[in-house]
This record gives sequence, C-alpha cells and structure tokens, in this order.
Amino acid sequence: MEEKFFTSFAEALEMEAGQIKVQDTFRDYENYSSLTELSVLAMLDSEFGIEIEMKEFNKYLTVGDLVQLVAVRSAK
Amino acid sequence: MGLLSFINSGISGLYAAVPRHVINNYEHDKWFRKEDIREIIDKIGVKERRFADDKTCSSDLCYAAAQKLITDMKINREEIDLLVFISQTPDYRMPATSVILQERLGLSTSAITFDINLGCSAFLYGLTIVYSMMAGGQIRKALILDGETRSKVYSHKDRKTAFLFGDAGVAALIEQSSKFSQSFFSLNSDGSRESLIKVNAGGYRNMSSAETVKEKVIDEYGNIRSEENGYMNGADVFNFVIREVPKDFNRLLEFSATDISSLDYFVFHQANSYINGFLAKKLKLPEDKVPSTIEKFGNTSSVSIPLTIVSELKDHLKTHKKLLLSGFGVGLTWGTAIIEVDDCIIGDIVEV
Repeated sequence: MEEKFFTSFAEALEMEAGQIKVQDTFRDYENYSSLTELSVLAMLDSEFGIEIEMKEFNKYLTVGDLVQLVAVRSAK
Repeated sequence: MGLLSFINSGISGLYAAVPRHVINNYEHDKWFRKEDIREIIDKIGVKERRFADDKTCSSDLCYAAAQKLITDMKINREEIDLLVFISQTPDYRMPATSVILQERLGLSTSAITFDINLGCSAFLYGLTIVYSMMAGGQIRKALILDGETRSKVYSHKDRKTAFLFGDAGVAALIEQSSKFSQSFFSLNSDGSRESLIKVNAGGYRNMSSAETVKEKVIDEYGNIRSEENGYMNGADVFNFVIREVPKDFNRLLEFSATDISSLDYFVFHQANSYINGFLAKKLKLPEDKVPSTIEKFGNTSSVSIPLTIVSELKDHLKTHKKLLLSGFGVGLTWGTAIIEVDDCIIGDIVEV
C-alpha cells in the first residue's frame, strides 16, 4: 500500500518516487501548486477511494501524514 | 428532499449566441509569461473562449438567440406567457433584466417575467421552475433565457481564474406535449461553502466604494484582483464536486429508476476539462456520450450545459433521446436532471 502511494503521489506531482521522503513537507516541493494539488486530491479519490474535506486535508503537512491517511482510510 | 418529477413538459427549441471576439488562450499573455500560461491551459483545457465587448451584456446575447429562435420557429410572440432570465451578470441591480427583455422581444404585458440569480446549476433550476409553473396554469409557451458575461467578473491578473471563463447566451423554448413523457430532477445547495466562489463586494453587504475597486496583490504568487472581482478556491470546489456530483448522479438514477445504459448523452456543466474528465472517469461513462465544449468556449457558468447541447448535439436530437444533465458551482449549488427530447429544434450558433 505504501509503495503504491509513493508511486501515485509522485505521478500526481510529476516527480520521481525516489525524490519523495516520508518526512518531507510536501507543500514545499517545487512541483506542488494549486494545479498539482488537484491531481493529488484526484489520486486519493480514484486510487484509494478517499474522499476528504479540504479542512482535513489542509491539516496534513508531511508525506508521512498522507501515508498514515491512506493506511487508515483506504477503501481498497 | 430536493427531488422532483414532471410529465409532458420539455425543450422544443434551443438556440445560442456567443460574442464574435475569439480569445486564443495560449496568446492571452498580457499579464503572464507564455510558458506559465501553457501549463495552466493544458490542465484546464480551455483553448479558446469568447469575450463580449464593453457594450454587450448577457441579455444582448440571449436577445440575439431568442430573436433567431422566434423567427426560425415561427413562434407567435403573443403565445409566450412566461420569460425567465438566468444570470449573475444582469444589466442592472434593478429592475430585473427579464422585464427589459419582455419589452425588447415584443412579448405581451400579460407575460410573467422574473430573474433567477444562480450560477452553474441554474439551467436545471430554471427548467424545474418553468415546468412547475406550466403544470399549474395556462402557460402556452415559455422562454428560458440564460446568459453570462463572466469575462467581466474575474480579474485578468489572477491566474486562478484568468484563463477559464467565457461569455455566451442561450434561449430555450419550453412547451407542453405528450412526447416529452417524464423528467426528473435533483437539486441541492450548501451555503456553508458560499465563500468558495464569490464576488465579495458591490452588493449590499459590502457596498461599492473606492476601496472595493482597488486592485491588490492577494497571494504569494502575485495574483492581483479587487474585492469586486470574482474569487474562486479551485481545490476546494474540485474536491467537493468529485465527491458530491457522483452521489447526486446516482441518487437521481435511483429515484427515477433509470438504467444508465438507456441514457443517450451526459451533458455536464463545463467547469474545466480536468474536473469533467475526472467525473466522466469516476462515473465510468463512455466518452462518445459525454459532449464537451470546454476547449472552444471555456466555462460559461449556467450557459455551458445548453450551449454544449446546441454546439455538439445539434444533429443528434431529431429523434427521441434521453439526456442526463449535471450542473454544479457557485453557491455552492448542484443538481442532476434526466430529460427527454424529441425533435428538438436547434439553431446554428449566432455570433454577436
């Protein structure tokens, strides 16, 4: 699951999976923008069945936070 | 529960008008660098759109569409007993633009006219209101005039909205006939999200002043707008839409006991190609049943559903067809409709 997340997350941000570390604050990535944010939200929905309110999403700061989210909430 | 069904009312004619001034989005680079624009446009999929000039209002676009409809279809103006104007870019704050259109179109003073102030879902709201009034009275023919000049609402220096919106107007003739059989609607609203798409000043809560028209840098990216320009929080809207629109879609299929395979076309509000592509994929809809005009007309708010029908389905609605319509946006309000059309007269798009 974690591996699938890293692949999908990297794809959404148009980065290499190897560039992404658990402790990274993902909004600081150069590729993170209001456009790629849509891809991240879309990815969470279509790949992991996670529908999330922005209020909640905005609380997640690190890649690790999202890994945890996927682990707990993933529908697949 | 905002679920409705009607019998024997439907759209018998649909005409559209767009401004003749074409904006090529990739060349729309007065305020931004071309390479930055390209990334945005590739994602939102709006290659061209139409801008009304200073003198042209939503009502003028609707007027042009309505005149052509009335002439082509040889409609007796005396028989139009109801005119509804849908827009969030009316001529004036008062009077209602629909009343002005009554006079311009030469309709009877015994005709009912009023405006509906809603955005991207409004065509569906308009249909339900007209169908309801037709069911309750002696209305022979009704016109829904739905127009927007959103190019005048948003700042051209705010990249979040500068490349998305276009202008257009439509005229729909609504009549009663047994050929329309049954139609179904689900309508929804969520005012807790009122700030996601908003023009904050210029109404009566925050009245127009020298301060509200002042352009300001509003974020760390250097986007510029005034309090009287539109604002949109794209990520929040996107996230809401991909969650709620499919739910409502399925709710209406269930309410109407419709088999998805019996639907001929799925006409979505043209928000941007990324949202629309995502919705079609999530709902597993076949591409050839999902017409799109986002590339050539951009997001025209409430006009985009009927405009897409006029532009893309002109030659496909001569025989009986079942359409699903889905509108969502500012409010937030959203809705789904299943309507039947049969020999719907659709005109060529008029350029104003």
